[in-house]
Amino acid sequence: MNKTVGTKVTMQKRYALISDVLRNNMRTGRLPQGFVLLEGPIADVMQSSRAPVQMALRILEEEKLISRFDGRGFVVGKSQYPVRGEIRDLDLQISGEIDEALQSRGTWELVYDQVEEDIASSLIFGEFRIIETELGDHLGVSRTVVRDVLSRLSERGLIRKNQSSHWIAGPLTAQSVRERFAIRSILEPAALKLAAPHIDYAEVAHLSRKAEKPDDVEEDFEKALLESCIAKAQNAELISVIRNIQLPLNAASRALTRLGLPRDRFAEDEYRTLFGLIERRLIDPAADYLENHLKLLAQKSLARLKIVAVISEAEHSLPYLTKIQ
Amino acid sequence: MVKSPAIIKRRTLRVLGTAVTLLDQIKERAERDLGFDLEFEVLDFVSCQGKAALSPQAYDIYDQCFHNLDIVWFWGALQPIDTQRITLWDQVSDLTKKGGISRYAWRGHGDAPVKKLYVQPGDSLGSEQGRFISMLPTVHNLDSFGYDARVFGYEQRFNESWAWLLDARAKGRVAIVDEPAIGIFDAALAAESSGEIAFADIGNMTVAEIDALIKLLDDRRQKGFFRTMWRTAADASALARNNQVDVQSMWSPAYGELSGGAPHFLEAVPIEGYRAWHGGMSLRHGLSGDTLDMAYDYMNWWLSGWTGAVMARQGYYMSVLEPVKQALLPEEWAYWYGGEEALSDLSGTAGQTVVQMGKRRPGGAYSDRANRIAVWNTVMDEHNYAARAWMRFVERVRAGQP
Repeated sequence: MNKTVGTKVTMQKRYALISDVLRNNMRTGRLPQGFVLLEGPIADVMQSSRAPVQMALRILEEEKLISRFDGRGFVVGKSQYPVRGEIRDLDLQISGEIDEALQSRGTWELVYDQVEEDIASSLIFGEFRIIETELGDHLGVSRTVVRDVLSRLSERGLIRKNQSSHWIAGPLTAQSVRERFAIRSILEPAALKLAAPHIDYAEVAHLSRKAEKPDDVEEDFEKALLESCIAKAQNAELISVIRNIQLPLNAASRALTRLGLPRDRFAEDEYRTLFGLIERRLIDPAADYLENHLKLLAQKSLARLKIVAVISEAEHSLPYLTKIQ
Repeated sequence: MVKSPAIIKRRTLRVLGTAVTLLDQIKERAERDLGFDLEFEVLDFVSCQGKAALSPQAYDIYDQCFHNLDIVWFWGALQPIDTQRITLWDQVSDLTKKGGISRYAWRGHGDAPVKKLYVQPGDSLGSEQGRFISMLPTVHNLDSFGYDARVFGYEQRFNESWAWLLDARAKGRVAIVDEPAIGIFDAALAAESSGEIAFADIGNMTVAEIDALIKLLDDRRQKGFFRTMWRTAADASALARNNQVDVQSMWSPAYGELSGGAPHFLEAVPIEGYRAWHGGMSLRHGLSGDTLDMAYDYMNWWLSGWTGAVMARQGYYMSVLEPVKQALLPEEWAYWYGGEEALSDLSGTAGQTVVQMGKRRPGGAYSDRANRIAVWNTVMDEHNYAARAWMRFVERVRAGQP
């Protein structure tokens, strides 16, 4: 995996820095015994993505500084009595040096999300070549950073190299949509079953109640289902495959929403039913229901993708993507 | 003090559609018969479909084709039509209700209207019959191609093939309609019947099949096969009249517009069958109250015969036959629907002669023609991919690129 060396170095630095910050604050008592550590809020405080936080927590667990408990996340120490609170309210001490490192290092990560979203949502318009120099200019970053970004995009399966070693993205065809949904309807129900013992059912109950309110949309439900249920399966490879399979589908769906695709009330109802089943620990029926839901979603996605044919790609063009005729 | 006259606000129904049905004479007559104003917005197929999906507040009725329906439907822009409010629903033909005019009629590949007609549980569309429908079936036709008999020969009945669109005899004098959900099927039928490509399902091509078709067309283009890609029936008619093509995609009204000006230019009855299309009307999502009532009035009026007669004079058929028969002259009905010899010259929509006495409609009676559907105009699963590839091909032909 030579091509990811650059990426791994930055990743290493980042998770090491995060575990340092957490370790120091436990020592000084700012992070009290029993405090519940959750990936998301830590990532926010550290201005990081979740992956390095995950890694940092794993290290601290190995060092027996934190431990798993009967709930989501970890607790500081070995406490049986989890203390819940907002980590941002704890006023964690982050040394100037580390703070600076957190800000400056991993430039590629700071720009990555936007590039990923832009490219993933361009796939519906066809096949593109990525011009590396243009991408660097567009982002205002060095060639090294561009290479890090491209490595990550390639790992996520969004881009590939052609015979002349150019980076190519797309197209997202009906066939690939159909295939991706077929994979999803095999993997996601299976992952849900694997996840069953690790799901925080109190959290799902909370989601289920929240879903009753009309202000949440399909996309949020789908994300919640993945993060709070499916991704609890203790199989990182499986979850990573699911995330990668979903990536261009979700990006296409977001792109269509930006074009004015209205809310899918039927899908929203289906998610409510799903959370209801999971909350009551009816995992087998929930898995079957999920499989059927994904089949319907596949059909709708195919029909919706057709509208893209009447939308000019010129309005959605990016300077670093060149259309392949 | 003079009392100002009461202001009576005229009610207006907005119809978004294409030149197939949104004719001035229909607007005038409907306004007179129905007592409200109509606002017609006429667009080409592709823009019309885009507007219907993305600007659902811009119209009340969407008057288009079944093959352009599911995009708009799945975009959430439309609402179901209650068949109990359609007076002549019982008389609507089995072509749309069941997928064929009889049990034994060819079903055709692709988007047969029946597959999109009924609203299913979960708001999807399918052929399982129910009270609510997505689009009220109206005008339709069985299309083929036209050819110069001086090139391909007279007396070719039962020998005419879509393959002629790729035939070397017509090299440099071939034209195809540019619309991606229509023209691509004329080309695909040609490629399949010439034996150059075998599609697993011509109505739902794979990416590899689309690539193969475009490559084949592009090879022909580089050899100078194509004269042009036409856009409207009037363009097609002009190409034939001005002797610029030997074979081309052709729509019914274009033959009428030739009005005897090119007697050697014949409508084919392809051995492979026709490329069919079916129009209809849908209701905008959120339409309610008085405007919804007006919309139902307008749709019911459309099925009541007079419009069917106007459509017949362009060669189009209606989904409800009996009222059309009543509205046409007996000799018109006999020619257009019966496939019989014209007992007099027959007029078109503007009063001009479109059929000379003694002529017979190629392909015969409606029942014969509607029995032989090879493929329906279709927005395939890979439409987004196919339409982009097709339009790039169209541009290359138009640009005359080598």
